Amino acid sequence: MRSNATQRSQRLPALGRRAFLKASGGGLLLAAAGPALLSACGSGGGSQEAWEGPISMLGWDFQPDMIKQLVADWSAESGHEVDVAILPNVGYSAAIQTRLRGGDKIDLFYNFAYNSRKFVEEGWASTLNDLPGIDDLVADLFESSRERHVTPEGDIISVPYFSAVHTLHYNERMLQEAGLSAPPTTLQETYEQSKAIADAGLVSSPYVAYWVKEFCEEYLHTYLLAEGITAFDDDGNPVFADDPKTEGVFEWWQTMYREGLAPASVLNDDPGKLSNEMAQGNAAFFVLHHYFLTSIRDLAGPESENVLLAPVTAQNHTLQIGEVLQMGANDNEEARAAIWELMKYYGWKDGEGRYSVFTEWAKAAGLAAPYPGFFTDPDVVEAFPDYYDLSQLSQIFDTGSKVVPARTSAWYPDFQAKVGDVVHALLLGEITPKDTVAQLADAATSAQGSGGL
Amino acid sequence: MSTTTVRASRRADTPAVRVGPLARAARRFGVRMVAPSALLLVVLLAIPSLLTVAYSVHKVPSNGASLGEFVGFDNFAVVLSSPVFWSSMRTTLIFSAGFVVLSTVIGLATAVLLNQEFVGRSFARALLIVPWAMPWLVLGILWRWYADGSVGGLNSLLLTLGVIDDYQEFLADPTSALLLTIVAAVWRQASFAGILFLSGLQTLPAELNEAAELDGAGIWGRFLHITLAWLRPVLITVTVLNVIYAFLQFDVIFAMTQGGPGDATQVLSILIYRQLFVVTNIGLGSALAVVLGGLALVGGLVTVKLLYSSESR
Repeated sequence: MRSNATQRSQRLPALGRRAFLKASGGGLLLAAAGPALLSACGSGGGSQEAWEGPISMLGWDFQPDMIKQLVADWSAESGHEVDVAILPNVGYSAAIQTRLRGGDKIDLFYNFAYNSRKFVEEGWASTLNDLPGIDDLVADLFESSRERHVTPEGDIISVPYFSAVHTLHYNERMLQEAGLSAPPTTLQETYEQSKAIADAGLVSSPYVAYWVKEFCEEYLHTYLLAEGITAFDDDGNPVFADDPKTEGVFEWWQTMYREGLAPASVLNDDPGKLSNEMAQGNAAFFVLHHYFLTSIRDLAGPESENVLLAPVTAQNHTLQIGEVLQMGANDNEEARAAIWELMKYYGWKDGEGRYSVFTEWAKAAGLAAPYPGFFTDPDVVEAFPDYYDLSQLSQIFDTGSKVVPARTSAWYPDFQAKVGDVVHALLLGEITPKDTVAQLADAATSAQGSGGL
Repeated sequence: MSTTTVRASRRADTPAVRVGPLARAARRFGVRMVAPSALLLVVLLAIPSLLTVAYSVHKVPSNGASLGEFVGFDNFAVVLSSPVFWSSMRTTLIFSAGFVVLSTVIGLATAVLLNQEFVGRSFARALLIVPWAMPWLVLGILWRWYADGSVGGLNSLLLTLGVIDDYQEFLADPTSALLLTIVAAVWRQASFAGILFLSGLQTLPAELNEAAELDGAGIWGRFLHITLAWLRPVLITVTVLNVIYAFLQFDVIFAMTQGGPGDATQVLSILIYRQLFVVTNIGLGSALAVVLGGLALVGGLVTVKLLYSSESR
């Protein structure tokens, strides 16, 4: 005997293909037309309508409470409301691009320098050329820093959010115990001193660095610059491939890892762990942004107070990095004027001509600003802990570091994404230093061409 | 009273039935009930899928302002001619094979175990849900710490068991990193498989096993010919889902290794993420997504085919 359910199912026709297609076709049309209809309903006039704000600002989650406080202070002073949204640092680049691509309007946002020119070219960020006081801001920058914010064509595309230089954090006590009178001044000396410290039994793997895939690109430039190698010419050609010293840099890099002078875990370790390794005395050298000295000291480990800063190299340069603030695409002059006021305050000076925001970042985490005046400002000097040698730091910014202008090119993120794979293959011994040079050059050329995987 | 004759089935041997107003009203009600879900499916699945296919044959500008220039199969040519793709494909297949086999086998074994009578069975069954309730990303972060060479518990466990004689940096070694990402992903998926298998086992009449035991069937024979045969529909569902999950796996791997060291754990989904969201080469990323989608679809269909054909035998 058939059940009732079976009988019902035979009496009732199934949802036919035609009916389904009708229903889904309607849905498709609705979905396709929806955004256009919404957009049409919402855009009643031109961009020069009276602007009422608020300013939308997007940043990543480094000290979010501080960001909100600094912006709130500016709002109270200026009378402009600001909506601050914070995203996680990891994946920020992907998240902001997805939002902008999806049509989000963001007036002011943090960005990685390597994305800055791309954002202008995609119409997500606007140039700052015509804004009042912009020339003074650019003139106020270290000469070495200007190429990060000004394109070769002369367009000003960003202002500083913060800046830093790659430096060598070293444990002075360990050096002395190993019979070393001064920190290394070349990559070769770094190898020799690491070996001496390991041989003395002070620590088995003395050298640590943030060699995770996404960050290898910064080290590529840091090490090339340390040996006086120019990575890219003005046209973006990978001229490092033509420099005979380049292969030596990769040999050094591979040797440091393969001989165990850097621990195996550096391919995955985050800076927090590496700072702790220095604080606990498990490492003697740590190359990364200068402000990690604050992290190491704040950890108050048994070796924290013995850790000092030195340039990565004595003769050549190190990499100067800096993340940036960019203005979103907004044609409304009133809005642009308000956003620009916030940008000046957040990325330069407040209304009274003080580096008030940068002073707070210096107090909080030892972050720096790429302005010579910043390092001599009494408030800033007061803000930095005593263990920072500000004149040394200022000198590294001024003459001891380079920004590598190609890093802001629109094609650069494609190259940046590939460097980690190649460098890791080198460190794991899967490719030779010579192959590394060739593969990185290919990656740069391909990034400037049609791209590729 | 008017009636309408409709064909209830396309099969010639099925008689036509007459449907009255009540049935038509019921039909309309059914369509209305299904419509929201169908619409959601169209909006959330069909439209993005069609757009992805469209993007894959265009050079799409990063800002999404238009589809861009039509380039035919150029993006697919770039993908298929790239050694990075084939290396990633190999990694994806290894990962998927390990993931599918281990999650299915461990899930089944766990379900069989939890179907036995023992003290604390309810608690153990409740524990089974824990891995499944954990988001993939959180799971990846936890396993990353668990596998850490300095502070992770895995080293301590293996050292105690005598498997290793010194602390190891598992995630810095290409082979062990891939192995660990498989294990971490299996840890969660086996729990899901176990839940499904357990629910299937609970519908298995006890008399079947008892009768087989009386007829002299051994444990293995009963498992193979009664338990496994009974679970075959569940097994098919679980395996197909596992195949699809395997190909689409991203979060755990990204949280643990970001595809490293080198390209050791760089499965296709990570390549897609990089192209679509980091480099924003939408055309190329979409071509990769189409390839991966096709792979998951074919993998699922082949699994269904294999399992159903073995059932019919």
